[in-house]
Amino acid sequence: MTTSTPAPASTPVLSSTPVLEAVDLVRRFGPVTAVDHVSLRIEPGQTFGLLGPNGAGKTTTISMICGLLSPDGGSVHVAGVPMAQEPLAAKRRLGLVPQDLAVYPEISARQNLTFFGRLQGLHGAELRTRVGEVLELVGLSDRAKEPSKKFSGGMKRRLNIGIGLLHHPDLLVLDEPTVGVDPQSRNAILESVEALAGQGMAVLYTTHYMEEAQRLCDRVAIVDDGRVQAEGTQDELIELTGGVDTIVLSGGGDVAAAEVSLRGIPVVQKVARDGNHLRLVVQNAPTAVAGVVRTVSDAGMNLSDVVIQRPDLESVFLHLTGKALRD
Amino acid sequence: MRTLLVLVARDLRQHVSDRSVLLFGLLIPFALSYVFNLAFSGLDDPQLGEVAVVVSAPTGDPAADAVVGTLGALADQGIPVTVLEAGPGEVADLVASGEADLGVTVPEGFGAAVAAGEGARVELAQGADTGLAADVVSGIVTATVQRLDADAATVAGAAGAGLDEAALGALAADLAAAAPQVEWAERTVAGEQLGLAGGIVAGQAGMFLFFTVGFAVLALLTEREWGTLPRLRTMPIPAWQIPFAKAVVGLILGTVSTSVLLASGQLLFDGVDFGWWPAVLVLVVATVAAATSVIALVVRYARTAEQASLLMSVIAISLGVTGGTFFRVPTDGLVGTLLQVNPVAALVRGLGITAGGGGIPDLAPVLLTLLAFTLVILVLARLVPGRKDAL
Repeated sequence: MTTSTPAPASTPVLSSTPVLEAVDLVRRFGPVTAVDHVSLRIEPGQTFGLLGPNGAGKTTTISMICGLLSPDGGSVHVAGVPMAQEPLAAKRRLGLVPQDLAVYPEISARQNLTFFGRLQGLHGAELRTRVGEVLELVGLSDRAKEPSKKFSGGMKRRLNIGIGLLHHPDLLVLDEPTVGVDPQSRNAILESVEALAGQGMAVLYTTHYMEEAQRLCDRVAIVDDGRVQAEGTQDELIELTGGVDTIVLSGGGDVAAAEVSLRGIPVVQKVARDGNHLRLVVQNAPTAVAGVVRTVSDAGMNLSDVVIQRPDLESVFLHLTGKALRD
Repeated sequence: MRTLLVLVARDLRQHVSDRSVLLFGLLIPFALSYVFNLAFSGLDDPQLGEVAVVVSAPTGDPAADAVVGTLGALADQGIPVTVLEAGPGEVADLVASGEADLGVTVPEGFGAAVAAGEGARVELAQGADTGLAADVVSGIVTATVQRLDADAATVAGAAGAGLDEAALGALAADLAAAAPQVEWAERTVAGEQLGLAGGIVAGQAGMFLFFTVGFAVLALLTEREWGTLPRLRTMPIPAWQIPFAKAVVGLILGTVSTSVLLASGQLLFDGVDFGWWPAVLVLVVATVAAATSVIALVVRYARTAEQASLLMSVIAISLGVTGGTFFRVPTDGLVGTLLQVNPVAALVRGLGITAGGGGIPDLAPVLLTLLAFTLVILVLARLVPGRKDAL
């Protein structure tokens, strides 16, 4: 993807006004509470990550933020505009890139952008200019006249993002934009998000990929079971682990028995199993690793690899929830 | 309003380029109308075939001549009759052999017997499978004989009352020469049923209208599957504009396709004339609105576009069949009254009224029926629990 200088927002957000302020959001589906008192605050120019496994409540949260679902409790303000009282004005301030593709397959990329641009209130020369800029930004200028059904998956994803950017929103909401995308397109999408953030656009980015949150986000909220488990900068979150390390054990044999044995060692604070991998949170990995290896070997696990990791968001998630991020 | 126009324009452009709308909205119903019209043409205007009548009647008998003369006059009424003369003993044989369709035997002394009030016997013999024309001729001969009998009874009554012979003769002559005192005439009135061809065209248009409107309104479910529906709902437009735009597109497509079908039927099929077109257009718009309400109910109920298409087809065919698309349905009694609520039946009935010269005031009962139907279905659609769409 290439980048271009964005047009200024029609109504600049005051620096003191958060681009998004969601307070105590609650949403229930029957007996299930999908979102349980979630509060988020995003400042102008910030890239904010919502990190959590599938089913954590991320999509329901942004559905309420974008005005697609009415919350059972709490409030949403976009650039100071209340979503409940002034939905049209609030929606004008944000752009959504949904997880599933949301483009008309029978019409071209340019026609898709023009149609959604008109609904955003753009018209005439302004609309034509902005459509051209976005086509350039998402790297589809050469294919602008082709029906989008002829595009590759990655190209459709880029068009999907372009539609969200078209009216130059104060807040761009991206819901798992790299799910099901090949590595090359994924990297292109991440680069374009970095470029937008570099231009000062506030971004709310949901993902269950720890490495994407680490790469893109200034602040991250870790969500699980519909609740924000922790929120802060990456350093602040890692501090929550108390400086613990992670040991990842891989191998065959009796992995389940090894997991049970490890729970009995005092230096091991948490254990999570992911197939033939065991992820341990320990206080001091270099000194603990010898005892850990001996324990799993005695339990019948045939080790093929041992990796010691510095604390990362995965470790934080494990520390906070006792689960691996992809459980 | 500007965004509503943007939504409507996009959908219209898509449907115009979509061959399904052209196929189900115009080509298939027109082709079916053509085929049905060919298959059933003439059923509502039967042509009477030639009838051969063998007659045995005494010569010089005015009453017998009156009976035979009736047969000769039938050609003027559009029933070609060939009269064969035969002896009294030959009539039955000629009918039995198929050489004649009908045999009439007037006995010797028929006129004198009738005049004397003594009674007389005219024999009619009709061959097997001789058809409608022979039935008609038989009926006419019977009626003629009955009239002669009534005249004779009148003369006999007058004689009994003491009229002299000269006066009786004059009375008998008057009765024989008198034209019928009661006449009947056919007159076209608003509210009559459509002719067969008109009924076929109207029925097909009414049934396929549901498919045309369905394509427009069910696009809402297609958009749900494309993911564009949630994206539209994040746009700064009033939420009601999204389904309303689909309904407007349905109204436009339904009205245009139905009007084109009716106009084509009127131009291309013999004997089809739906009357005053402004009234026809009002009726069409009311019917399309009713069809749109039905599809709105389907959209609320169905979970997928496939399920909705299936439901729509079942409803369209059911309403088409019970609305008179393929055969005429009863219009009286409880069942008939209930069936008249059906929008297809209402369209066919309304077109019958306009075809009979009726205007918009004459259509009022039909239009009110359609309006009530639309409102009830829309209320039902509101009561059906809808989907809670998230991303």
